[in-house]
Order: sequence, then structure tokens, then C-alpha cells
Amino acid sequence: MRKWMILLAAVVALALPGNSQVQNAPAGAQPSLEPGYYPVGPNPGYGGTPAVKNEPNPVGDDDPVALASGRRLFVWYNCYGCHGGRAGGGMGPSLRDKTWIYGNTDADIFNSIAEGRGKGMPAWGLKIPQGQIWQIVAYIQSLGTPREPDAPK
Amino acid sequence: MFGYARKFVAVSMAAAFFAAGAWSRSPRAPRGGRQAVTQVGGAFKLVSPVPNGDWEEPAGDLANTRFSPLSQINTQNVKNLKVIAILSDGIAHGHEGQPLVVNNTLYEVTPYPNELIAYNLKDLSGPVEWIYNPYPNPISQGKACCDVVNRGAAYGDGKIVYQILSDEVVAVDAKTGKQVWRTRTGESTQGQTSTNAPIIVKGKVYVGNAGGELGVRGKLTCLDLATGKILWTAYSQGPDSDVLIGPDFHPFYKKDQGKDLGVSTWPPDQWKHGGGTIWGWISYDPETNLIFYGTGNPGVWNPDQRAGSNHWSITIFARDADTGQAKWAYQVEPHDDFDYDEIMENIAIDMDWHGKMRKLLLHPGRNGFFLVLDRETGELLSAEKFVDSTNWASGYDLKTGLPILNPAKVTHQGVVTTDICPSSTGGKEFVPSAVSPITGYDYIPAHNTCMDYEGLPANYIAGTPYLGADVKMYPGPGGYQGMLEAWDLKTQKPVWSIKDPLFPVYSGVLATGGNVVFYGTLEGWFRAVDARTGQILWQFKTPSGIIGDPMTYIGPDGHQYVAIYSAIGGWMGATAFPSISISDPTAALGVVGAMAKIKQYSPPGDNLFIFGL
Repeated sequence: MRKWMILLAAVVALALPGNSQVQNAPAGAQPSLEPGYYPVGPNPGYGGTPAVKNEPNPVGDDDPVALASGRRLFVWYNCYGCHGGRAGGGMGPSLRDKTWIYGNTDADIFNSIAEGRGKGMPAWGLKIPQGQIWQIVAYIQSLGTPREPDAPK
Repeated sequence: MFGYARKFVAVSMAAAFFAAGAWSRSPRAPRGGRQAVTQVGGAFKLVSPVPNGDWEEPAGDLANTRFSPLSQINTQNVKNLKVIAILSDGIAHGHEGQPLVVNNTLYEVTPYPNELIAYNLKDLSGPVEWIYNPYPNPISQGKACCDVVNRGAAYGDGKIVYQILSDEVVAVDAKTGKQVWRTRTGESTQGQTSTNAPIIVKGKVYVGNAGGELGVRGKLTCLDLATGKILWTAYSQGPDSDVLIGPDFHPFYKKDQGKDLGVSTWPPDQWKHGGGTIWGWISYDPETNLIFYGTGNPGVWNPDQRAGSNHWSITIFARDADTGQAKWAYQVEPHDDFDYDEIMENIAIDMDWHGKMRKLLLHPGRNGFFLVLDRETGELLSAEKFVDSTNWASGYDLKTGLPILNPAKVTHQGVVTTDICPSSTGGKEFVPSAVSPITGYDYIPAHNTCMDYEGLPANYIAGTPYLGADVKMYPGPGGYQGMLEAWDLKTQKPVWSIKDPLFPVYSGVLATGGNVVFYGTLEGWFRAVDARTGQILWQFKTPSGIIGDPMTYIGPDGHQYVAIYSAIGGWMGATAFPSISISDPTAALGVVGAMAKIKQYSPPGDNLFIFGL
């Protein structure tokens, strides 16, 4: 008697229309993910562990060639588009101020660039050489100091 | 004159009478008096009915007049306006757009994470009816050029429909708050976001997309209201088949005629990152069954990387509402040098124009010119400067439709061009103006901001900005940076203006049958102004800068209320956030130079204010 009722309930449940449908995307587009699936927080591009631990910047922090390269790469890789023309912020946070969400040691900044971060910072470690990332770190650490190349006027 | 006044009183009394009985009707019955008003005043003819108690579309009506016939609040009593409720959502980002009111419920779409909150207007101090949370993809927060904003929802057939930042259109049951359907239109990883408000016409939903600063291809998507199925997509560049250009297409000007201009007016393949996103307002004319909207900047800001006129960026389109086929198009600025997106409102009215009744489209442009077009053909009838400092062009040649460029202001890679007016944020931003059929004025929230602009070489890297410009903005000459300007539609001249010395006017405008015009300032003042004279009749200091659009409705008690967000953010307003440093005037795409003082005047906020008598 009970099995029969369970079977009937299952048939009825299948017959009722769902009240929530995730529509198919147009042909060629990726299928929708279920809501709530997205991971938040640091998004390691290096497989779960931080890319570097507690290293000082191997290119140093006041080599003018490294600083000039870092500034050039900051523009070349579109960093200024999110972080502002002189890194004062925009779509992404300012890098000139005293607030550092993920820390401000050389290694912290390297990891944020290399690994990417959950609110839209790409994982550059998968795209550009480590040496270039260190040059960008040198530029970021120079912001607001006399070393800063191409400082705001 | 008195005849009109009596008609207004009758209309508003009718609205109040019907509103008072509304909750005793079945939920499906239309509210008495709602959308029943088809003509008010005599300055021009309304082409779509204006809301008379509810507010179901972003602009109130489909023609985008942002005019309400309600007149319980009028020039005599508005000085008694007071705060009825302050509703906070806890999300301290820019609140653009406006709430909806349907069947005694007020619906608010929040900035990311784009909650939909249903407030019970019968008891605003009690619990909300429900909150729907769509859980957008968090990485979309880092792809939104200009804060994680949303410009509102539309209501149709029992559903509230809006876009979430990570590129899905959602439809929610207006009574229960349950999701009905959800349709994806793009990918955050490719740099696309979705911020504009839909409109709903005859069972179809129309939405645009955003990401012109990330090389995203702009497109208008039409979905079926019942199922969410995508019916057609019209891109802003590419071959004619992508742009839905076919045998019905008749652009008025020679410069817009030719096959596959969406490819041929670009260097090879550059159109694939051609911008032209549609992140502003969409309007509809029931007389011609046409949808109108404008497209944004042509992708990379560095003009030297995209030789050619870059069709169909910065273009006003007219499309058949059913098939999406383009009827006409008018490119407002070929080969943009300044990021003058022309996604502003296109207001449809019929008016006596130089002795002949004509179907017009009004478009106060980002570029500082007030465009008047014939909406049947796309002919440009007038283009007068509504901000005096405008200097990138001296005017428009109405025969060719082309701007008369100032050669001293063109921009190039590796060259710093100075004192360009208006700035990229424009003589007016996307925030919508309102027109009054009583006064015959367009009330424009205007800016007086100028800039220096240098083109830089840019690389396209999917999901990152594709910009190529170093921009610094600052207030324009004349001692003011913002004004609410009343523009006479017959004479195409300004009548009066209320100037703000410090900041641009970054709120939308509402015009009403009580002859009161409402708008807000970035300092947080919400103002009621005499529609005829510009006299400030009342103002209230809200705690955060106003970047939303005022709307008005009849509450369950039959009284008129006005609602406005007080929550700064958006593009220029982002300077108020702690995450922006004023030590860099080129930050936030250049606006910080013009907005540095805002941190002392307006903190971020999260409020919706409701005012009443």
C-alpha cells in the first residue's frame, strides 16, 4: 500500500511543472551555472598554494630600469584601465593608498597579481613571465614615493 | 489654462478614487486610472500613455518622457513635503535607476548582488514582502567600468524583469518572488556586464549590454516575456546580418548608407572589439511600432587604433519592435575621439515643428548638443549646444548630418589634447531628462566638465580593459560644474537653469502634472522646482549623493508619493568611495580630477527615500 503511494507521489511530482527554469543559452554560449556556485576569495592560479612565500623582490625596489619597466607594463597589460591611470583606483581598488586587502609585502603583491583574486582580478601568473610581475611589484611599491616614475601631476 | 487645471484635478481625483479601491479588486484587474492618461497639456502630443498611479516601466511610459500627470503634489503645497519612509538595503554602492510600483508593492533592484526587494506599501515599517537573490558571479564586480550599478527593472504580465551584473536576464513572479526564468546573454570572463533596464512591449523584453571599455561587442537582445527565450539579437557592428540590416533599412544620410559598414569602416577585424554597447535607455513608439536606442563608444578609446568612421558606434537606431530589423540609423559622431557614448534617452513626442506637425525624437547628447530628429526617417532637424563650453565641434551640418569638428580638439595617440569640452562624461551623462507637455520644456541634468586626453597604444586581452587613453577631467569655465537646465523645445534655447558650483548634476529628472520638477544633486539635496520658472520650492538634504531617477506613484491611501535613491556611486560618484585615491586625478577613467571634493560632501549610502505631503 505504501509503495503504491510513493510511486503515485513520484508520478505526480514529475508531472508538476518546475517553478524555476534555467534557460538554455543561445547556441555556442556556455551553459548557465547554478546560482551560488561561484567560489569567492583568492583564486589561486597555481593550484591551491600561494605562488611565492615571503620573498623580497628579486629585482630590488629602487632600480630605475625595473621601475620604468614596471610602469610600462602597468599600462601595457591594461592594469591602469581597472586600477586608474596612476593606480588611484577605478573598477579595481587604489594601489596608492594604505589599504591592502591581501597584504603589501613584495610577496603579497606578487601573489595577488599572479594568482588573481575573486572579484575580477585575472591570474596573470598564467599569462606573463615572473620577471615582469616583479617589475610591476617594484612600480606598485614606488607609488607615492620620490621613486615613482610618471607620477601624477 | 483653467480648462487644463480642471482636467488635471479630475484625472488625479479619479486616480485617487480608483487607487483607494484597488486592493479590493482581484489581483489581475488593472488599477483604475492607471495608464489611462493619453494627453495632458498642449505643448506637444504624448505618443504613449503616461502612468497614473503605478510605475511599471523604467521611464514610467514607453516614450521615455518621465512625465507623470499626478498633481496632488503641486507648486502650492510641495513646500510641505516630508519624509515618509527611508528604506535601506545595506549595499553601499551607487543606486542608479528607479524603483517600480505595481499593485501596492514597491520593487527595488539593488546594485550587485542585484537583489530584488518587494516592499509592502500598506506597511512600510513592517517586514518586506520578500527578497529574491540571483547570486551573480562575483568576478563581474571587477568588470563593471563604473561601479556595480543597475538601472532598474520593468513589469509585464505578472513578472518583474531585470538584468544581473553577470549577464543574465531574470524574470521573477511579482507576487511570490519566485524565479520564473533566467537567460544568459554573455560572459563576465569576456568583460561583459549588464546594467541597463529592460523595457517590455507586447510580450517582448528588450535589453542591452555593457563593457565598451573592455572591447565587448554591443548588442540589443530581444527575449520572449513568457519563456525567456532569445528571439533575436542586433549587434552594433559586424556584417549587416549581425546588425539586422536588411531591405527595410533606409538611413537618411549618405554617410550611413552602404553595405556592411559595420565591417568596412574599421581596420581588419577591429570591429570584433568594437564596443557600441547599449547601456542606457530604450524607448518605444506605438504609432510607428519602432524601438529606439543609442550605442556607446567604439571600443578602444585610442582613435588611432581604429581608422574609419567605426559604424555603428555612437549611433541612434530605430528598429521594428517585432523583428528587430533596422528601419533607420543615424551615427551621431563618426570616428569618436572622446568617448561620447550616445546611449542617452530618445524621447518620442509629436509636436508642431516650424509650422508642421512632426513625429520627433529628442536626444540631449553626451556630446553637449541637443539633437532633434524626425523619428520616421532619422533626419536631424536641430543640434544646438545646451552647455555653453562645448568646443569639440561648433555645430552640425543638417544637410550631411555630420558634426563640424574643431581641429584643435581632435585626439591622437601620443599627443595630449587639452581643454576639450565636454569631457568623456559629457555635457550630460546617461541620467535621464524629463519633458513636460504643459510647459513644453525638456529638463536636462547637465554637466560643465572639460578634460585633457592622450591616446595610448592598447592591447586587447579578453576580460581586461581595452582603453588606450590617459584622461584627466576638471570643471569647465564659468564657475559651475552642474546645472538643471530647462530647454524650450519650440525655440531650442535654454529658458532657465539652476547652477551647482561644485559638482555635475548626476540624477535623473521627473516632471509632473502639478508643475513640479524633481531632481537631486551629488551633495545629496533632493529638490522640487517650479516647472515654469525654475524657482526652488523645496529641498531636503539626504545623506548621500543622488544618482538615481525620481519617480512618483499613488499609494494605497490614495495619496501621491515621490521616491528617490540617495546612494552615491556610478562613474563620477565612485570618487566618493574609500577605494579611490584623490592623489591620482587620472583615476576612475579620469573623473577624479573633477570630483576630488566629493569625499567631503557625500559618503557612500544605501537609502531609498519616500516623500509625501
